[in-house]
Amino acid sequence: MHNLGTVFRFEVVRTLKKKSFWIAALAFPIAISAIFAIIYLSNKTTDEAANNTKNQQFSLAVTDESGIIKPGVLKQFKATAVTDKQANIDNVTNGQLDAYFYYPKDLSKDRVEVYSKDVGLFNNGRYQGVSEAILQASIAGTVSPTTTAILKNEVKYNSVSYKDGQQYDGFKQLIAPGIFLVLFYILMAFFGNQMLTSTTEEKENRVIEMILTTIEARTLVIGKILSLIVLAGVQIVTILVPIVAAYLLFGSKLDLPNIDLTNIPLDGVRIGIGALIFVASFMLFTGLLVAIGAATPTAKEAGGFFGIVMTLIFGPLYAVTLFVSAPDSTLVRFLSLFPFTAPIPLMLRNAVGNLTPWETITGIVLLSVSAVIVLAIAVRLFRFGALEYSRRLSVREIFSRRT
Amino acid sequence: MNSSLIEIKDFTMRFGSTTVIDKLSFDVKRGETFGLLGSNGSGKTTTIRALLGIYQPTSGSLTIDGAPYRVDGGVKLGYLPEERGLYKKESVIDVMVYFGQLKGLSRVEAHDWSLKYLRRVELEDKATTRLDKLSGGQQQKVQLGITIMNDPELLILDEPTKGFDPVNRRLLMTIIEEHQKAGATVIFVTHQMEEVERLCDRIILLKDGNARAYGTIKAVRKEFNGASLDDIFIKVYGQHQQEEIA
Repeated sequence: MHNLGTVFRFEVVRTLKKKSFWIAALAFPIAISAIFAIIYLSNKTTDEAANNTKNQQFSLAVTDESGIIKPGVLKQFKATAVTDKQANIDNVTNGQLDAYFYYPKDLSKDRVEVYSKDVGLFNNGRYQGVSEAILQASIAGTVSPTTTAILKNEVKYNSVSYKDGQQYDGFKQLIAPGIFLVLFYILMAFFGNQMLTSTTEEKENRVIEMILTTIEARTLVIGKILSLIVLAGVQIVTILVPIVAAYLLFGSKLDLPNIDLTNIPLDGVRIGIGALIFVASFMLFTGLLVAIGAATPTAKEAGGFFGIVMTLIFGPLYAVTLFVSAPDSTLVRFLSLFPFTAPIPLMLRNAVGNLTPWETITGIVLLSVSAVIVLAIAVRLFRFGALEYSRRLSVREIFSRRT
Repeated sequence: MNSSLIEIKDFTMRFGSTTVIDKLSFDVKRGETFGLLGSNGSGKTTTIRALLGIYQPTSGSLTIDGAPYRVDGGVKLGYLPEERGLYKKESVIDVMVYFGQLKGLSRVEAHDWSLKYLRRVELEDKATTRLDKLSGGQQQKVQLGITIMNDPELLILDEPTKGFDPVNRRLLMTIIEEHQKAGATVIFVTHQMEEVERLCDRIILLKDGNARAYGTIKAVRKEFNGASLDDIFIKVYGQHQQEEIA
């Protein structure tokens, strides 16, 4: 591996110097920040609007044929009890009255009728809210708070599950091994194209012969892959730091779920398996993307294959519910063990905890062997495809040439 | 020590069913300037690529200093390929330092050498400029610098004057002469006969992957009744064209 460090350093430094790298790295957190800002402003505006609506006074007339509405409640809502339905509808129609509610005799069968003056698309709903509040306030005194809570689905639950004699939280168990799945997704989504085109530059710039007489093709390819891993790390940190910072600083204001990271279970075996699947999957797809880049004359032509590779990787996500609900099905087994579709199913099922020992071993072995074979082919393709400046190598040529 | 730096014995190269080189044998002495001549498609570049391990020969042996070429081997190589270019989006100095390091120089050595060379070819102010912002002629100067930056013992120049403007052609000739004087072995791959007559000690003329003439320029000219290299070239390839017409 003569000169591996030189290749690695050159590739890392020159990429870090590129504006496009930082634009790509910062685009995601900026977009996320923008979305957070919109959510925050939207929530704030909605809360303010709700408060304004609540505090706004409006003229209201109510006809109650159900006999449920209590006069005290009507007084509380500054509503007037009336009997002439049509006259009050007319009053709303000609603007003399802001709103009129008609409560029918049988509330279980007939509809409550709400007539109101238009106050805008998003504010018109407030009148129905008031009509509901009047009803709820009228019966609140007749039933116990417990009954009210049950009927309003406001009862809080605390579930505890046990597995093998230990307390078990399936969701929290998923978090640590699931990180590899997220990491793999981010790496492929953000760096797939860069991997694909990493070896086409030498060909497009006709620099390949000078390179191949100073370093081994294998050294160049491995140096590029290692640099991509480090750059991916830089990009992940660039993405995560602002997101975590935004969560910590503004999480409470954004109504985001409060994630307690202090008691996440750390299952060493599942985390280890997740790491092995991640590394083998990353090497396999890096090798595949580099191989495609090496076999095609230009970055543009290589780009045509990108969609195919991404479909292989992320296609299994469409069967995500199947991986959880029917792990023994033939389709799930096939997707989990066929190397080019295996990463997502294996990592997901490992996170969920339904990967059997034999599937784990077979999956990791198949992924690893495939990764070694594909990387070897990638180096071979780079050597032989390197001098094919204007045409794509055929499969026959790739395997028939002597090494 | 063997007087031959390069030895090529029974070298055959086939691509599929096409034989590009057929049992070619020749050697290049240490310190000489050797002309590898022939028209396009005669097998010159294939021979060089096989010698440098870019292609693997179908059969035969190609050695430099007694062994197949290795990138981390003992002979310091300066190679200017026919198909040439550089990392166009990087700065001149970054690319030069990178190649210098790949050729075994330290970062500081490569940096210092590059600046010295850029001063020599009046490109010092372009050191931090991206290569694609340079003119074609300026890029050629950088390419030449990279070729000679490790003070090569073996300089292989494949169609070196191709695309060169007169200024760079003069620079190239000066560089070749400097390396000749320093004792480097130079292989000059070309079909420009006047430069060959001026610079080379010995030549080999390839046609269809076979040697049609081989030896000192004097001996080759004698073999062809005192004809100039240009006439010899035309005669060898003219026969071929006449055969094709017939």
